[in-house]
Amino acid sequence: MGKTVGIDLGTTYSLIAYQDPATGRPKCVEGPYGTPLCPSIVSVDPDGAILVGEPARRRLLTQSSRTIYSVKRLMGRGIADVQDELKLFPFELAPESANVLRVRLGDRVFTPPEISAFILRELRQWAEQFFGDSVDRAVITVPAYFNDAQRQATKDAGRLAGLEVLRLVNEPTAAALAYGLHEKRSGKVAVYDLGGGTFDISILKLVSTGEGDIYQVLSTNGDTHLGGDDLDNLLLALAREEIARDHNVNLDAHPEAVQELRKSLIRAKHDLSSEDRAAVIFDLPGGKGSWVREFARAEFESWIAPIVERTIGPVKMALADAKLAPSEIDEVVLVGGSTRVPLVRRRVKEFFGRRPHIELNPDEVVALGAAVQADILESGVRDMLLLDVTPLSLGIETMGGVVAKIIPRNSTIPASAQEMFTTGVENQTGIDIHVLQGERELAADCRSLARFTLRVPPGPAGLARIEVKFLIDASGILQVAAKDLRAGTQQSIEVQPSYGLGDAEIEHMLEESIEHAEQDFTERQLIESRIEAEITLSATQKSLARDQAGELAAEERRAIDDAVAALREAMAGRDYKLIRTRLETLNAATERLAELQMNRALSVALEGKRLGQV
Amino acid sequence: MTSASTTTVTAICWSCRQPVSSEHFCAACGKIQPISGDTDYFAFFGLPQKLAIDPADLEKRFHALSWKLHPDNFVRASEAERELSLERSSQLNDAYRTLLDPTARVEYLLAREGMRREGQQKQQAPPELLEEVFELNESLDELRMARAAGGDPEERARLSKTLAAAARKFQDSLAGVDAELKKLFIAWDAAIDAGADADSRRALMERMNAALNRRSYIRNLVDGVHKELTENC
Repeated sequence: MGKTVGIDLGTTYSLIAYQDPATGRPKCVEGPYGTPLCPSIVSVDPDGAILVGEPARRRLLTQSSRTIYSVKRLMGRGIADVQDELKLFPFELAPESANVLRVRLGDRVFTPPEISAFILRELRQWAEQFFGDSVDRAVITVPAYFNDAQRQATKDAGRLAGLEVLRLVNEPTAAALAYGLHEKRSGKVAVYDLGGGTFDISILKLVSTGEGDIYQVLSTNGDTHLGGDDLDNLLLALAREEIARDHNVNLDAHPEAVQELRKSLIRAKHDLSSEDRAAVIFDLPGGKGSWVREFARAEFESWIAPIVERTIGPVKMALADAKLAPSEIDEVVLVGGSTRVPLVRRRVKEFFGRRPHIELNPDEVVALGAAVQADILESGVRDMLLLDVTPLSLGIETMGGVVAKIIPRNSTIPASAQEMFTTGVENQTGIDIHVLQGERELAADCRSLARFTLRVPPGPAGLARIEVKFLIDASGILQVAAKDLRAGTQQSIEVQPSYGLGDAEIEHMLEESIEHAEQDFTERQLIESRIEAEITLSATQKSLARDQAGELAAEERRAIDDAVAALREAMAGRDYKLIRTRLETLNAATERLAELQMNRALSVALEGKRLGQV
Repeated sequence: MTSASTTTVTAICWSCRQPVSSEHFCAACGKIQPISGDTDYFAFFGLPQKLAIDPADLEKRFHALSWKLHPDNFVRASEAERELSLERSSQLNDAYRTLLDPTARVEYLLAREGMRREGQQKQQAPPELLEEVFELNESLDELRMARAAGGDPEERARLSKTLAAAARKFQDSLAGVDAELKKLFIAWDAAIDAGADADSRRALMERMNAALNRRSYIRNLVDGVHKELTENC
């Protein structure tokens, strides 16, 4: 039997972690790039090879139509749900996207679970490389506010990646688990999780009992379409507007340039977490000069304030459901890369009136918690217990399109409800059931989960008695069973999910994926690292040819030349790790050169402005 | 623990074929047991059918049972046991959710005893509140009309204020009903302890049922006003 791991399948980054038996603590596995963060980006090469992570991120700049990021936003969603997404993200949907979306990447078409499966498979390879052993079972995290369809899609992705998904765990709950391990706590905890694409707030109660610690979720709320992506899209829209206005350049026809711009803006966003100012220099397509822009943190904050404020509504609702006031919360924990934004931290601190915890790396904490839960399930040694809740009420459609709630939101899972159904007219042979999730009164405003028909033997109206049991399991996924009470027989029901893949379809995909045998991991890394080295070498040559290179001190110049020679030597060999180490050395050596160029570009741009104003 | 189990079913363990007397596990082999058709939420926690429940005590029992019944315990067990754990732990959570909330608790008891009758009373205003309900509905109509006509903001603000004040009055009556229910809880528990006959228990349940109907009527009214007020904002 192979290893069991915890996986954070994120919008922007994904991570894989394990419980380290040596220390008894969870640890993230580092990938071939020396970081545990695997960009959640997938690219399909013209020859059919699938690239995931860092190499795919590079393809975003060169082959954007064959590359996809933020696919998590499409998981478990229907065509009508993603109209807003399509305006902001370069997703190209294939026409046959009825109840499962199909994304076009080059000449191939994939469903979101298949694309997520590529990411999971990549992480799995990282771990297998690290352990020297197979990895076949996993706990995967999902946003707490994910609905049934989004959870099912995540589980399908695990299955397609050849993993047995032991449990789906809510991201904020996993984070709380990792924090609890880090420092024993008790009391009421609020976990504020603002990631790349999703926002969750969970209120937990930590209780020490004789058997161990219980992490009981009291309530959860959130927005599955609110995160760092939104900040990026906002900056991108502003930048494109300014570029159109100041340079009369429309980027619509240049998707690769848009990705280059987006990348620079994200870097500026990151810089503004620690600096007061950040600059972006962007080469306009077609050699039309460059767009140079300096951002002040205050300016950035005034733009993003409305987005940050959107998190407060769900926080208030979660507190109301837990029947707690902000002052009754003992600890506040920040999770997700976007909580590095100073404005987010200030707003959370102001709201709760206390300083939030940031001791653990907000990128890693969810994966670490998943590894803890994986270990609990795997080893059977339990000194902690998670009691999570279902984020949305479950209901069934009744007369007039009104929804009758049968399992209220924030019920501890597993949770169940039994409903009795009968016929309304004589000799009726079927009763149609429509299951929904959501808080609104009308079925049309809730999320359709599934439809199915109960079969009844012909007879007078009202005679049939069919008992249907709805059960939400510990992963937050719905199961339905029906029983004919008069006949005393169990009825097997074909539940047709409103959005999602059927069993047969998954089987088919699994067979297909085995046919597409994977390229050898090491071989792939070697090819990728050589390409990366080539790109950097050619960029370095270009920089050295520019005027500012003359301003380098002799030893600075020598360091660059040495690093170039060392890298070329490594490239002749087959050690991809050595190539990457030397590449980093070269990057470090050219830092000063990049700085000189940045300063030059900035002063030119500022002078230009001044001249224009005279 | 109070002597409880009214439902000490004598079933046979599915695994070791010994008689099962405890609520959740076979005493002989320790295997988790299926749920009988008629499990009582009170008995599930080892509690008598009494209505005054200390939430802290209930939580303790809930946590203790969660340790034993949660699916985490059965990841490596047989398929059948995993199913049983899912069934039992979901029932545990359903039972806890129901008993923790006093209103849901008494509703559950009455439904179980076949004494929960919503009937037409749900639609009818309690006689003592008739006048207030009439006034409230009038203000609601005025507000709706003012909004439909686009009405001037000042007038709408005034109506909102009147309505909010009326809603507060009903909130007070709600507290009144809850106090009445609390008294009935105590009377019920005393009746159980005294081994009261079926007729006097039935009489108490009738009164609780009437109080519940009044409560749900006022609750709907207050919710309706709140909804109207948020929409008016």
